[in-house]
Amino acid sequence: MKEIDRFHAAVNDSRATALNIHRAGRKTIGYLCSYAPEEIIHAAGFHPMRLFSSKHEIILAENHLQSYCCSLVRGILEDSLAGRLDFLDGTVFPHTCDSMQRLSDIWRMNGKYRFFVDLVLPAKLNTKSAAIYMEKVLARFKEDLEAASGKKITDTDLSDAIVLCNRIRKHLFFVYEWNFRHPGVIRGADLYALVKGAMIMDKKEAADLLAGVVSSLEQSAPPAGKAKRLILSGSVCDTPDIFDAVEKAGGAIVGDDLCTGRRWFDGLVAEDAPPLSGIAQRYGNRMTCPAKHAGLTARADTLVSLVREHKADGVAFLLLKFCDPHAFDYPYLKQALDKQGIKSMAFEMDDQQSSHGQFSTRMETFIHML
Amino acid sequence: MIYAGIDIGSITAKAALIKDDHLLDTIVIPTGYHHLNAGIRVFDTLLQQAGLDRQDISAVVSTGYGRASIDFADKAMTEILCHGAGAHFLHPGIRGIIDVGGQDSKAVLLDDQGRVENFAMNDKCAAGTGRFLEVMARALEVELDQMGKVGLQADNPSKISSICTVFAESEVISMIARQEKRENIIAGIHDAAAARVAILAAKIRIRGPIMMTGGVAKNSGMAAALEERLKMPLVIGSLSQETGAIGAAVLASGLQL
Repeated sequence: MKEIDRFHAAVNDSRATALNIHRAGRKTIGYLCSYAPEEIIHAAGFHPMRLFSSKHEIILAENHLQSYCCSLVRGILEDSLAGRLDFLDGTVFPHTCDSMQRLSDIWRMNGKYRFFVDLVLPAKLNTKSAAIYMEKVLARFKEDLEAASGKKITDTDLSDAIVLCNRIRKHLFFVYEWNFRHPGVIRGADLYALVKGAMIMDKKEAADLLAGVVSSLEQSAPPAGKAKRLILSGSVCDTPDIFDAVEKAGGAIVGDDLCTGRRWFDGLVAEDAPPLSGIAQRYGNRMTCPAKHAGLTARADTLVSLVREHKADGVAFLLLKFCDPHAFDYPYLKQALDKQGIKSMAFEMDDQQSSHGQFSTRMETFIHML
Repeated sequence: MIYAGIDIGSITAKAALIKDDHLLDTIVIPTGYHHLNAGIRVFDTLLQQAGLDRQDISAVVSTGYGRASIDFADKAMTEILCHGAGAHFLHPGIRGIIDVGGQDSKAVLLDDQGRVENFAMNDKCAAGTGRFLEVMARALEVELDQMGKVGLQADNPSKISSICTVFAESEVISMIARQEKRENIIAGIHDAAAARVAILAAKIRIRGPIMMTGGVAKNSGMAAALEERLKMPLVIGSLSQETGAIGAAVLASGLQL
């Protein structure tokens, strides 16, 4: 599939991608987590681009964030301080985990970019009052963006952006479902490059290219494999080698609840609802991350049903080192899986992970145990 | 039918031959820089020692840190699986394994067939591994193979508070400066390393009987410190270092080629 190369290219050089988009008339607003309402940013005439660490050595960020902060947050700050994100016109920080909040403060105090917004989201997203509050937060965000761009965002702008983002979500959902039915039809490293690329490249380009991927997949011959079917659970996995290691060890990724995977494109915004309520509602219904609350066992219930629906043989937890919210959730998630007789194993990793020997040993043994 | 197992560890390379469910022979040599060369050397020397040819071997499984480099092996399998199979072969009642090697330490839980039920492994950190003990032996000017014996003579074991090998080394150097007894420092080092390994064992809720494998099993002081921490005796055979290679040979006998 030739389209996949375009996604890899965008992933490998987000700066060039942003500069091209800028030349075509859209300034870029960066965001750091999947709670950023991309639809509103796009409707305002900006390009929403997810930021990842370029995995350079941490030198400048060391003065602001200690080594017990997660490598993702440290890596992105390093990029910003070193001037590698100078293509940004602004950033938006949804209120999620503590490290993100501290990063937001440091970011603002070292302000390099014109536009800056903290989106103070509710901790619970699925209650009636949270939906009302969330809508107000989004309305305020819309006003902030209008002030920055000097242009009113109409309901039509919002509806168009919602339709566009939904297109991306539908296509990615199809790719995931196809891959779950025919494990191995697409390499894990390609699958996650599609998701990551869609977070980085121009939205329309991503949607159009994904449509091409979908039709290529529909015509592809599904491979016959006897790989062990794995669900990945965790936050961010931005190390494509990990997916290769899973496949080399005899595994096939059939689903995930990752922030760099399904969680980002999970659920659609209702296209017939008032735009901001629709966007707020999607966050209420979407699979949650441990920095938010949707009920005491919501994440475990989601994970167990992911395993059941995808006929998975086991769950691999990919935990970013020093990621407190995920580390707190892990024991109860594992217990919930144990209770259901679902095998799982935790793999602690760094965003800057370069040594894969131990990861492979663990993964190979785990897959052998399934 | 004869089967071979080759275990390329970070410090030593081991090989084992089994025939009709009996152990034929084993060997241990230093690994050196080149994994494949070490594999060829350890395999050929063992064959020579046993009076056999490569054609006599029905299947080879490689394991250990350098397993992927052994291109003449029929399959590469992780050392966790191989230590499980090896421990079960040597002692079928074993349910838990503590494997402390040169750069890894692992705790493994086995089912009654010797299959791995769960495991925990140290992180990218040398604390609680053979390398940790090597660094300390050098700082204390004790031969590595004497460390166990010396440590067991302690009358008041020192307390090492740092879990990092580099920090622990400077802690040990200050103890040397304070002229603490070498025996006591070594006993403290064994206990510090055992504490790290005991955490892995607790993580998987290890069950007895437990076998200790890997090169560090040869260190009686470390084994005693571990027994103290685990509140359980450890089964330590004369082939503790070769257990992974033996397990690899056992798994080779089960391959469908």
